Amino acid sequence: MPEIKVTPLGAGQDVGRSCILVSIAGKNVMLDCGMHMGYNDDRRFPDFSYITQNGRLTDFLDCVIISHFHLDHCGALPYFSEMVGYDGPIYMTHPTKAICPILLEDYRKITVDKKGETNFFTSQMIKDCMKKVVAVHLHQTVQVDDELEIKAYYAGHVLGAAMFQIRVGSESVVYTGDYNMTPDRHLGAAWIDKCRPDLLISESTYATTIRDSKRCRERDFLKKVHETVERGGKVLIPVFALGRAQELCILLETFWERMNLKAPIYFSMGLTEKANHYYKLFITWTNQKIRKTFVQRNMFEFKHIKAFDRAFADNPGPMVVFATPGMLHAGQSLQIFRKWAGNEKNMVIMPGYCVQGTVGHKILSGQRKLEMEGRQILEVKMQVEYMSFSAHADAKGIMQLIRQAEPRSVLLVHGEAKKMEFLKQKIEQEFHVNCYMPANGETTTLFTSPNIPVDISLGLLKRETAIGLVPDSKKPKLMHGTLIMKDNSFRLVSPEQALKELGLGEHQLRFTCRVHIQDPRKEHEMVLRVYNHLKGILKDYSVQHLPDGSIMVESILIQATAQSEDQGTKVLLVSWTYQDEELGSYLTSLLKKGLPPTTT
Amino acid sequence: MDRECAQLLPPVCAVLGDSRQLVADDTFLEKFLDWFKTLTETESSLHLLQENPCLTELITCVLKLKDPSSSTLSFILRLTGIFTASESCFQYLQQRELLNSLFGEEGPLSSALWEEASVRSGWVQGVHTMTQHQSAIHFLCNCGAIDVIFTLQGDPSLFVASAANRLLVHILTFSLQSFQTKPVNIKDCDWPICAQKLIPHLEESLKSSSASRIKQSLKLLTSVFGCCHDLWTEVLWSQLSEPITYLLENEPFNAGNSLVDLFLSMARSPVFSCPECSLWKSASYALEHLNPAQAGCLSAGILKLQECPQAVRMQALSVLLQPMDCVLKAASQPLEYPGLLNNSLSDSATIETLLSCRSSCASLLCQTLAHLEELLYLTYMPVNLPHIPLLKSVVTVLQFGTGLATPASSLGSKISRILIGCFRVQRSALDILGAFSHWESHSVFMGSVSDILLAYLKSPDTSPTVLKKSFQATLKWLVRLSEAPSSRDYWLQTEQFFRDLFLVLQKRLCSHCWEIRDSALEFLTLLVKHLREKEEFRQVLVSSEVPKFTEDLLEDPESYVRASAVLAMGQLSFLTHLNSKIPSTENGNGKEVKKKSIVAQLQEILVTDSEGFPRRAVISVFIDWLRDGHTDVLKDTEQFVSSVLQVVNCDLDWEVKAGGLELAEVFSAKTLGRVGLAGCPYVSVVSAATRSTQLNESLQIFYRVKLFEFLFGALCDCDRPVAQKACSILIALKAELCDENSLKEGLSAEHSFPEAHGIAWLEKTLRRWSSCAEPCPIGIANEAGSQNPNDILLVLRTIDLEGLNKSLNRSSDHIENSPQSLLQDILATVGTLEENEADCY
Repeated sequence: MPEIKVTPLGAGQDVGRSCILVSIAGKNVMLDCGMHMGYNDDRRFPDFSYITQNGRLTDFLDCVIISHFHLDHCGALPYFSEMVGYDGPIYMTHPTKAICPILLEDYRKITVDKKGETNFFTSQMIKDCMKKVVAVHLHQTVQVDDELEIKAYYAGHVLGAAMFQIRVGSESVVYTGDYNMTPDRHLGAAWIDKCRPDLLISESTYATTIRDSKRCRERDFLKKVHETVERGGKVLIPVFALGRAQELCILLETFWERMNLKAPIYFSMGLTEKANHYYKLFITWTNQKIRKTFVQRNMFEFKHIKAFDRAFADNPGPMVVFATPGMLHAGQSLQIFRKWAGNEKNMVIMPGYCVQGTVGHKILSGQRKLEMEGRQILEVKMQVEYMSFSAHADAKGIMQLIRQAEPRSVLLVHGEAKKMEFLKQKIEQEFHVNCYMPANGETTTLFTSPNIPVDISLGLLKRETAIGLVPDSKKPKLMHGTLIMKDNSFRLVSPEQALKELGLGEHQLRFTCRVHIQDPRKEHEMVLRVYNHLKGILKDYSVQHLPDGSIMVESILIQATAQSEDQGTKVLLVSWTYQDEELGSYLTSLLKKGLPPTTT
Repeated sequence: MDRECAQLLPPVCAVLGDSRQLVADDTFLEKFLDWFKTLTETESSLHLLQENPCLTELITCVLKLKDPSSSTLSFILRLTGIFTASESCFQYLQQRELLNSLFGEEGPLSSALWEEASVRSGWVQGVHTMTQHQSAIHFLCNCGAIDVIFTLQGDPSLFVASAANRLLVHILTFSLQSFQTKPVNIKDCDWPICAQKLIPHLEESLKSSSASRIKQSLKLLTSVFGCCHDLWTEVLWSQLSEPITYLLENEPFNAGNSLVDLFLSMARSPVFSCPECSLWKSASYALEHLNPAQAGCLSAGILKLQECPQAVRMQALSVLLQPMDCVLKAASQPLEYPGLLNNSLSDSATIETLLSCRSSCASLLCQTLAHLEELLYLTYMPVNLPHIPLLKSVVTVLQFGTGLATPASSLGSKISRILIGCFRVQRSALDILGAFSHWESHSVFMGSVSDILLAYLKSPDTSPTVLKKSFQATLKWLVRLSEAPSSRDYWLQTEQFFRDLFLVLQKRLCSHCWEIRDSALEFLTLLVKHLREKEEFRQVLVSSEVPKFTEDLLEDPESYVRASAVLAMGQLSFLTHLNSKIPSTENGNGKEVKKKSIVAQLQEILVTDSEGFPRRAVISVFIDWLRDGHTDVLKDTEQFVSSVLQVVNCDLDWEVKAGGLELAEVFSAKTLGRVGLAGCPYVSVVSAATRSTQLNESLQIFYRVKLFEFLFGALCDCDRPVAQKACSILIALKAELCDENSLKEGLSAEHSFPEAHGIAWLEKTLRRWSSCAEPCPIGIANEAGSQNPNDILLVLRTIDLEGLNKSLNRSSDHIENSPQSLLQDILATVGTLEENEADCY
């Protein structure tokens, strides 16, 4: 029995680093190759030794697919390809290929700068890794090899994020990566066709959440920023270079324009241009509104948002600054935070997740006295706000995607076990499909029904179309013919052709069934009764009473003989060919019920 | 444990032991365990427990919980494991009857939580850490833990199964090592009790019908033989060889890979190296009967062994060469070429079947090529590889890949159809082709190798990754050949090759694909670096269009390519004829305008390029130029260095700044060397007066270049590597410039040995310097600002460089990563979890 095996090395019942191994029809695919930002040692990468024990990595894996540019999905890629030694193909969308190295480089610089780590991937490794990447377009079917093909679908979430369908023959798996089922200010909603995969591997970050209205969150965010600026305070928004930052920029830009605000908004130097460049380049990946207005005005060319210079942090008066990195663990955002933390008029808004050991995490957990270098204590008087702007599908969205794709089974990853458990039950109840949630290192095996491709002869196909059946790939149709299995190939041909090809003579096989009928009358009278009975019931069929006394219903022959021992019992012989099996069986069952009583 | 942590620990333990309090994520607990691992390395575990009773209370408390979370229970199991690695601590907890409740039958084993992989994993890890003394071994044997581990070998979680297997290896090797007070008697081995349980289990598993049980047991044995080379391993083998031989003879395909690993692990152990050992018989049988892929792995492993019977070695070589032999024969007529193997010895039917099937052909060839490549790189090779026919077979594979080979048989036609456009095989074949450069000569290269390389470099069908491999292979051959003594004939032939190569390179430099442009530039850079001394090479290169095309790429839209173009130009500029050949362009008035020099172009990139890669590349080129005495730099080194440092000082990319510091370091070393100040142990002692003059001269140079302004500025930089590098350069300079004598000479009495200052003082001084343009006499600097060479010397003496260096050597997040910080975070997170529920990017 063919099987699909899924083993998460990361993202199995956690929201750490995504890395899922899928084995489908003998092909091995790695879905995402993420990094855990919460660790500073080897634990930040998935444990690849479970793959290497199967021999050489490049021989074992047929390809790696990266769903989007967030580091928890691609952060371990240069390590995997340049340090562990994977030398095969890597697939991602064009925007992901363009943006991924920027984030990897940013992270590398911070890691080396902050921690002085030497055993980390280098710039050259990031570049060499990117050279192995094959970029794909949306809805383009990419042939990885003769049997394995992949196809990308739009996932929303961040620019270039994609869901991937992996297909080998008739078996297929869809991996969603992170996705968002509601459009936002710059991206559209995830979409997939009714591809009916054997398995849908879905993220489940918000498995139990029906998220509150985005508008509310946005209003709240703008209100807080506005109030702070109005009272002369400064707002710091630590962000990662690309992604949610652009969404928030559009939000603030529009608000500033509408309210005619004058306080300056800054974005970390260098990144605005880069972001602009890529958002312009990949405008087709944004939502319809942005694409439409692009002709008149590029939404990413901001009027109010300017490049930030280090010296601006000391300027008096209100301002809003987007600075990297997003967890306040190094670089510019941390520097600005140190300067502004002491003033209660100021505010820091954390728009995303922070790992333990970062200043971002500390202030979010309410710590207000932070120890800095040299035993100095930094007193945090500024306001601290947390507002999640991460774009994941909520429980409703996940159910919607399952409804769209109609998978035969579902497997949940990238979520917490308890929440997954809840969603799993919901999915199983509503869709009557199996739902799995393996932990990291656990293998889920599901069996699939194999589809064997068969070539059909032109003659047979023409015969079918002649009776008005135009072939339609979306509507399965039952075909009758003779299956010839020869030289590792399967062909369906007409029986005549099969006989000819194989040099065989034709023999007809007829099935005959004896039906006992209690009737004391003479044979020909009884046959007449049978004829009338059938004629009355089978109005749409040709029922004939033949001169030799037998009855023909289409090709089914019914003859009567007398029972030698018992004159009161007649025997009807019902005989049909294989082709008329259905009608033959029907007639037999009909006659077995007996004849209706005669009215005298 | 310090006082602060000791104070924080009780409330933290209270939180961890409270099932109502959720700990945000598992990294907290992991880091907590890391901390205790470090603590128990330096402190007595027993002392830790006695001093901090909250730890024992935590264990007790979690055990009493009705419904602990799986992560907390797993954490407690691992924490207890860390403590009980010390025997005294083990006894301490045993007396409190905690160990049975954790690792024995009464523990999690019987609870519903055992269903959770994390709990089973915690249990295995805890037991593993604990098993460092005989008391633990006895405990495990008595509490039924060994049987639990046996069950866990087949756990549905790969992590747990693998950890259980490692644990069994540890238990076996540990118990035997500590038991082995006298040499093991091979004939009548008195095994310790643990081994007495384990070995029959292994035997039984090997005989079982479950493929996974067999696999786990073979893995276990592989690890045992791999990590332990004691005599008892021979006894173990003698006990288990029978079921293993049975497996080999009856289940060669299912257990094949594991058997290969086992045999190789044994073959590497000196215990089994004797030629009479039954291992070799099994290995020989395996070579014959395993499938080609498995036999290939075994062959490659055997061929790397130093000690191995020659017959087995030769058999392994035949196995490995067989696929290549088939390929070779598939492309040549019978008798045209003898092939790699003796026909009468080899049965190639299986290999031919695999090679004629699309799905297996590429895998088999890639694997074989990879094994052979590894062998080619070995410095010690116990058998002679048939290099020439092997190389011919590799070239044939590559010819099949581009449709250049003419199939000589139906197998050939099939292989040809499969390999055309098969990038995987092409990449592997090019890798090994490069490896041949270590073995082969010029004549071989000028034969088929150069042709096939050019074919791949030229072909529009070559994928970017294959092209990169083609460049790498070409480079290896060319570098290797350039090192060999050459004849006139050689250069005549090579010249034509270079002409063809540069034509291809020109085309590749114009590719629409950035990966190709970049790989071409990287290739060019390395080629010039290695061959720039060869006159013939230089002439062909300079007369080609390659330098011009490279220069154009300095303006490439892709920053990676711009950076590579910078590096390539850096190398090209060493070719002296090139500078004189800088092309002129016509301006609008039809007048010729001399194009900017390369130095000027690179300096412009350093100032204007918005991306870090090209700027970093410029700095690295400048460092090379300064180090190697590039003519353009030598014209006015001071001006060159000064202008570069000025630009770098304003760069936001810390790696550019770090590059600038390296440039400053090279410059200062060169200057000190030139004036005779560099500390060379062989230089005769110079007089105080001469030294003073030298000191003064170098100080003046540094002053003119504004070296110290740059270094002091970098020392205040917020990017740690910049400050760190600046600090180390300043320490070195201080040692050269501020010795005791010069110190006394340079300073008046009232300024001698001022108090050591930190960064704040330095920042203040630098601000004063920059705000005051007029130079002031020494001693007034502190009050009025400004600088002169003596001011610099004063600052250099005053600043506490050693202290700064010490703090800069620590990672900048050492405070956030400290145990105090972790404990504070755990406490602070309590209650905030609902608010900031798990989120991600």
